[in-house]
Amino acid sequence: MIFSPLTILWALPIVGGFLALALRSGKRAGVFSIALSLISLAFCALLPWREGAALAVTGPAWAYGIHYALSMDGLSWVMCLLNAFLTVIALVSSLGEERSAGYWAAFLFLEGALMGVFLASDLFLFYVFWEVVLIPMFFIIGLWGSANRKHAAVKFFLFTFFGSVLMLLGILALVTLRHRATGVWSWDMQGLQGVATGPAAWAIFAALTVGFGVKVPIVPLHTWLPDAHTEAPAAGSIMLAGVMLKMGVYGFLRIAIPIFPHLSWRLLPWLAAIAAINIIYGAFCALAQSDLKRLVAYSSIAHLGFCLVGVFSRTVEGLAGGTLQLINHGLTTGALFLMVGILYERSHKRGIRDFGALFGQAPWLTFFFSFSIMASIGLPGLNGFVGEFMSLAGAARVLPILAVAGVAGVTLAAAYALPAYQLVFWGDRGPSSVSSHVTDLTVREQALLWVLCLGMLYIGLHPSGLLSVITPATKGLAL
Amino acid sequence: MTAVLPLSAILIFAAPISAVLISFFLVRPFKPRWTHWPILISCAVVAVSAVRIAMRVYTTGPLDVTLAQWMVAGSWSLSFGLRLDGLSSAVLAMVAVVGALIHVYAAGYMEEDECMPRFFLFFHLFYLAMIGLLTSNNYVQLYLFWEMVGMASYYLIGFWYHKATARRAAMQAFLVNRVGDFGFMLAALLLLSAFPGSGARFTAVFPAVAKAPPALVCAIGYLLFWAATAKSAQFPLYFWLPDAMEGPTPVSALMHAATMVTAGIFLMARSWPLIAGVPHLPHLIAWVGAATALGAGIVAATKTDLKRILAYSTVSHLGIMALGVGLGEIGAGIFHLITHGFFKAVLFLCAGNIAHGLGKPTATVDEAGGLIKKMPLTFVCFTVAAFSLAGIWPFAGFYSKDAVLDAAHAFGPGMGLVASAIGFMSAFYIFRMLFLVFLGPRPRQEGGEHGGHHIHEAGLWMGIPVLLISIGAVCVGWFGGQLQSLLSMGWMAAAAPTVPHMKVLEAWPSLALAFAGAAASYWWTTIKPNWDWDWREKSPALAAVFASDFGWKPAMAWVAQAVVALSNWLGLSLDKGSWDRLIEASAEGAVEAGGAGAALATGSVNDYVWWMAAGVAVLLLAVLFL
Repeated sequence: MIFSPLTILWALPIVGGFLALALRSGKRAGVFSIALSLISLAFCALLPWREGAALAVTGPAWAYGIHYALSMDGLSWVMCLLNAFLTVIALVSSLGEERSAGYWAAFLFLEGALMGVFLASDLFLFYVFWEVVLIPMFFIIGLWGSANRKHAAVKFFLFTFFGSVLMLLGILALVTLRHRATGVWSWDMQGLQGVATGPAAWAIFAALTVGFGVKVPIVPLHTWLPDAHTEAPAAGSIMLAGVMLKMGVYGFLRIAIPIFPHLSWRLLPWLAAIAAINIIYGAFCALAQSDLKRLVAYSSIAHLGFCLVGVFSRTVEGLAGGTLQLINHGLTTGALFLMVGILYERSHKRGIRDFGALFGQAPWLTFFFSFSIMASIGLPGLNGFVGEFMSLAGAARVLPILAVAGVAGVTLAAAYALPAYQLVFWGDRGPSSVSSHVTDLTVREQALLWVLCLGMLYIGLHPSGLLSVITPATKGLAL
Repeated sequence: MTAVLPLSAILIFAAPISAVLISFFLVRPFKPRWTHWPILISCAVVAVSAVRIAMRVYTTGPLDVTLAQWMVAGSWSLSFGLRLDGLSSAVLAMVAVVGALIHVYAAGYMEEDECMPRFFLFFHLFYLAMIGLLTSNNYVQLYLFWEMVGMASYYLIGFWYHKATARRAAMQAFLVNRVGDFGFMLAALLLLSAFPGSGARFTAVFPAVAKAPPALVCAIGYLLFWAATAKSAQFPLYFWLPDAMEGPTPVSALMHAATMVTAGIFLMARSWPLIAGVPHLPHLIAWVGAATALGAGIVAATKTDLKRILAYSTVSHLGIMALGVGLGEIGAGIFHLITHGFFKAVLFLCAGNIAHGLGKPTATVDEAGGLIKKMPLTFVCFTVAAFSLAGIWPFAGFYSKDAVLDAAHAFGPGMGLVASAIGFMSAFYIFRMLFLVFLGPRPRQEGGEHGGHHIHEAGLWMGIPVLLISIGAVCVGWFGGQLQSLLSMGWMAAAAPTVPHMKVLEAWPSLALAFAGAAASYWWTTIKPNWDWDWREKSPALAAVFASDFGWKPAMAWVAQAVVALSNWLGLSLDKGSWDRLIEASAEGAVEAGGAGAALATGSVNDYVWWMAAGVAVLLLAVLFL
C-alpha cells in the first residue's frame, strides 16, 4: 500500500509546488504556498506516528529489490516538523518582496524533497530524495540570490554532488556486498550491519563520512557553505542552514553509525577530531568575517560541530542532545538569517560596518537580534545551551578532551557574535552607514520572530518534551 | 518529589518574574515613566520574603527540594530545584535588602533618563538572576543564573551604548566572564561524569567526593576556582571590573555590593566540601586572594575617578573574602561578603550622589573638594561606610575584615605581613578619598563648581536608601554569632563554619594599622594638599605603572589582539585566501584539462587510427602478461 499519511507528507508540498506554478501570478502563488505550508505543518504535527513503525509503508519491489519504503520514528518526526515549520517561516518572510510563482514553487519542492529524505527507509529512495533536494535549492540560489549568485549556485551544486556521488558509491558497495552474502537484492536500510568487513568496511565508511560530511559541512569540505549562504536569498539561507545542513548529521544517525556501529566507535578519536576542528575552526573563521551572512554561515559550521560531538559520543545524552541541537540551530540560525535578510532588504547591505546605532531606530529588531544572539552563543535558559550541554556531557564521559574543545568553542562563540552585534546595533555610524534606511519590524516580521524566540525559550526551559520524542529513536545507537 | 514550598520561597521568584513581564508588556507600552512601579513593588516583596526565609532557616532548618525536570535523556537527567540553607539564605537576605534599596535609589537616579524603562527591566533581571544563583540546588542550574547575571550585566554596563567606552567595557566584561565560564561549564560537565546519576545536585555530589576519581575532583576544584576568579574579579581575570564603571552608578552599586561579584565567593563557599579536599587548592585561593587584595589596594590609592577608586577597592575586598575562604574561614569570608555588601553600596551610592549633584555620570577628585558643607548627608553616610571599610570598631567592617586578617596572621608570618599591608592600604585609600572629596577644596580642585554648575545635595529618592543602608554598614557586624548559627544550618562539609568574634582590645594591632593608614592619608591629602597631583607630574613613569595595573592590562590587551590576529589568519588567509582558492582553482584546472583533451580530437581519421592501434597493443599486452 503506497498511499499512507507518510506519502501525503512528502507528496503534498510537491503537488502544491506544481499547483503554485500553475497559478502563474506571484501574489496568488505566494498566498497559496503559505496556506499549503501551514497545512503540511499541521499535518506533520498531528501525524499519529508511534515508535516502532506504525505508519511504515512498503510498496512493491522494482528492479534489483528497490522498494518505495517510508517509515517514521521520533528522529524522522522532529526533522519533518523542523522542515515544515521553517518552510512556513521562510515563505512568510518572503512576503516583503515581489516574487514570481516559480520562487514559491521552489520552496514547496524543497520541502517535499526534504520530507522524503527524512522518511525514506530504502537506500535507493533515500538517494533519490537526497539528490532531488539539490535542484530546487540550486534554482533558489541561482535565480533569486544576490550579485554573485550564479557562481555560488554552481559551486554549491558541484560540491554537494561530489559528496553525493561518494555516498552513492558507498551505498552501492553495501547493497552489492549484501547480495553477495545473501543472494538477495535489497536496499533496505535495516540489516546491513556486518555485511562489509575489513578494508571494504573502512572504505565504505570513509565514503559515507565524506558524503555526509560535505552536507554538514565538516572542515575542510565546507567552503561551499559561506558562498551559498551569502548569495542565497534570506528564505533560502533559512532552509539551507535550518534544514539542509541537518541532512548530513541525519545521514550519520540513520545510516553510517547504525551500519558501522563498531567501526565508528573505533574511529572515535578521528571523528571527534573532525567535530572539534569544526567547532574551533568555525568559531575562529566567524570571528574574522566582516559580512553578517558569512559570519552566521561560519557560526553554523561551529554549531553543527556540537551536533557531531554529541552524535559521535554515542552516549544516550549526547545523541539526544546532538539531535536536539539540530532543531535548536534551525530555530536560532533561522531567526538570525531572517533578520540579516530584513537588514539586507531594507538597506541592500550586509557588512557589519555598514550599520551602527540601530538600537534607537529599530528597537524591536534589536530586541529579537539580542535574543537570538544570546541563544546562539549558548546562554543557559535558551535552547542552544541545552543541546550543547547535553552533547558535551556525552563527550565528557567518553573523551574529556573533546569536552574541553567544545567548551572552548562556547567561549569563542561570544567572541565572534557579540562584537558584530555591538557594531550593528550599538556602535557609532560611519560616514557610509546605511542605518537610516533600516525601519523597524513590521507586524508580520514581529510575529515570525515572536514564534521563533518563544520556541527558543520553550526548548531552553522545557526541552524534555522534544527529548522524550528524540531519545527513544536515538538511544539504540548508544553504547 | 515536590514538597510544599513556603510562600516566601515562591515569592522570591514569582514577584520578579511577574514584575518584569507586567512592566514590559503592560506598563511600558502605555506609561513608560511608570515602568519601575511594578518592579519596586516586587523589590519590597522580595526583600521581606528573603528576610522571612532567613528567619525560617534559622529556626526550622534548611530546605532542599527538586521542583521540575529540565533535561532528560534516558536515565541521564538534570532538574530545577531550590536549596534554602544557612549559606544561601544569609547571602540572599543581604542581596535582597541591599538590592531593593538600590532599586529605590535608581528610581531617583534614572528619573530623567529617557531609556529608564529598559534600565529597570535589565536591572531587575540582574537582581532575579542573583536570587536564582543563590538558591540553586545543583551546579547546572547555578550555572544558568551565573550566565544570566553575566548577560544582564552586559546590557547594563553597555546601557549608555552611544559611548564607545561603555560598549568596550560591556564587551570586555562579558568576554572575560566567558573565559571564566569556560571553567564553570567544564567543571559542571566533569561533575556529571565523575558523579554519575547525581544530577550535579550538591546533596548528591558532596557526600560522594571521597569515592570519586581524585584526578577529576582535582580538575573540578581548580576549574571552579578559575570561574570564580572571573566573576569575583580575582587575579588574573579581575581587570574587567574597574572598567565596568561605565554603566550608570546604581548598576555599579548593585554589581559591586550585592550581585555578581559576590557570586564567585559564594560559589567557592558553596563548593567548599569539594574544594577543601583538593591538594594545594585552598592555599592557592588564599594566596591569589591576598595578592589581589594588596595589588588592588595599592592601585586604588592612585586613582582619581571616584568610582574607579571604589572599583579597585571592591577588587581588593573580594581578595580579602577569597583569602578568608582559602584559609578555611568560610564563616569569616561570608561575613565579610555581607558587611561589604552594605558599606560598599553606601560608598557607591554616595559617589553617585556626588556625580549626580555635579550633573555628570561620573566625577573625579579634581571636581570635588570641600563638599562637607554642600552635601552634609552624603558626607555622614560616606564617613560611616569609610570607617566600616577601614575596619574601625564598632563598625561592621571591623568584625568581618579583622576576622579574615586575623586568620591570615595565624596562618604564617608571610601571610600576616601581607594582611597587615592590606589593612593599612584599605584605610589609606578610603580615607584619601574621604579627605580629598569632603575636605578642602585644594588649589587644584574645583570644589563642586564644575563649569558654573553648583553642586546640590541628593533628593529623597536618592538620600533615604543611602541612609538606610548606612545603618546596616554600622550594625551588621554585631550579628556574627547569629550568622554562625545560621550558616551551620544545612552546612555540607564536616566542620561547621565559625564566625570569630572580634574583641576591640585584642584587635589593637589591626586597629592601629587602620589608624596609621588614615593618618598617612591625612598627611598626604590635607597637610600637603598638592602632593596627590605633584607625584603624578614628577614621576610619570611610576604613574604609568599604576595606571596599567603593574603592566597586566597591556598584557591582556596583547592576548586579545593575538586572538583577533589568529582568527584573521585562519579565516581570511588560510580559509578564503588559500584553501578556497585552491578548490576554485581545481574547477578551473578541470576546464583546462578538458581543453587539453579536446586538443587530441583533431578530426583527422589518421590520428584516430594510430590511437586505436596503441590502445589495442596495450590491451594485448595486458591479456598476454597479466
